[in-house]
Amino acid sequence: MLQMDGKVEELTDPLFFVDRPWVTIVWDDPVNLMSYVTYVFIELFSYSKERATELMLLVHNEGRAVVTSGRREEMERDVARLHEYGLWATLARDDH
Amino acid sequence: MWPGFTSTASGQPLRAMITNPPRGFVRFSEESFMLDLSESEKDVLINLSGQLVEILAERVDAAHADPLEKLVGITGHDSPPDDEVLLRLLPNAYADPVDSSEFRRYTESDLRRKKSQHAMLVRSQIMELESGSIMLDYDEAKAWLGALNDIRLALGVRLKVDEIANEGLDLLSPEDPMRAVFAVYSWLGWMQESLVLALMEESDPENAEENGRP
Repeated sequence: MLQMDGKVEELTDPLFFVDRPWVTIVWDDPVNLMSYVTYVFIELFSYSKERATELMLLVHNEGRAVVTSGRREEMERDVARLHEYGLWATLARDDH
Repeated sequence: MWPGFTSTASGQPLRAMITNPPRGFVRFSEESFMLDLSESEKDVLINLSGQLVEILAERVDAAHADPLEKLVGITGHDSPPDDEVLLRLLPNAYADPVDSSEFRRYTESDLRRKKSQHAMLVRSQIMELESGSIMLDYDEAKAWLGALNDIRLALGVRLKVDEIANEGLDLLSPEDPMRAVFAVYSWLGWMQESLVLALMEESDPENAEENGRP
């Protein structure tokens, strides 16, 4: 018979959620310039001007946008760099 | 976000439409950027960059921090700053306060140091200036960009721009002391925008021809 120590979820969750990515979210704020936010996206993530503008407008119109996704450590690095540029950024597990 | 200043309905840069406009930052080559500053503009920038360095220094590393932890950049600060300006400059990285504290403990010291260095560079470069024109190399221009943005973020918190629409601030009464602060805030935004556009020129070669490079 199978003997389990502790909760079953603690054992099985990592098996299924290990690849669930983390995301970096940039939030709208009233101070940062639209041109500056576009510039930061190009500079930090090497996005094309079109892609960076699209993301900037998403932040501006929707109040937030996911700008990168990946491993938690990578997202922490992205958030730290965005904070250095003065953008309001957080990271979270991808809930999609 | 703030839409900025440079674009008009026709999409032409505003500066091209005025006979003798202030230019803001102009890029002369891959590596050099120039800005003209009046004496009062220099004073304002020296003052504000100094204040930024001061407020960042208020958040000193905890004295009891383990020397080894200090060496690798762990500050001992794991709670968010009480001051609204500092909280905007050093924001939380997670919605969850526990994750946020852990992140802050390892990263805040580095973030503070970088922001402070940018502001100190702006301050010292202006103080050493003997004329009304300043020349910056690429790295200096990027440091200026960060410092100008941090100063605007700080002023934005004090002006409560999130509560009042940008248009509303324009309508402050002439006696309101915040009017002068708002004028400075607008001027800094205009200057920052000119620097962003100058920095972005490299990826837009057609635009680079228009600035009368020597």
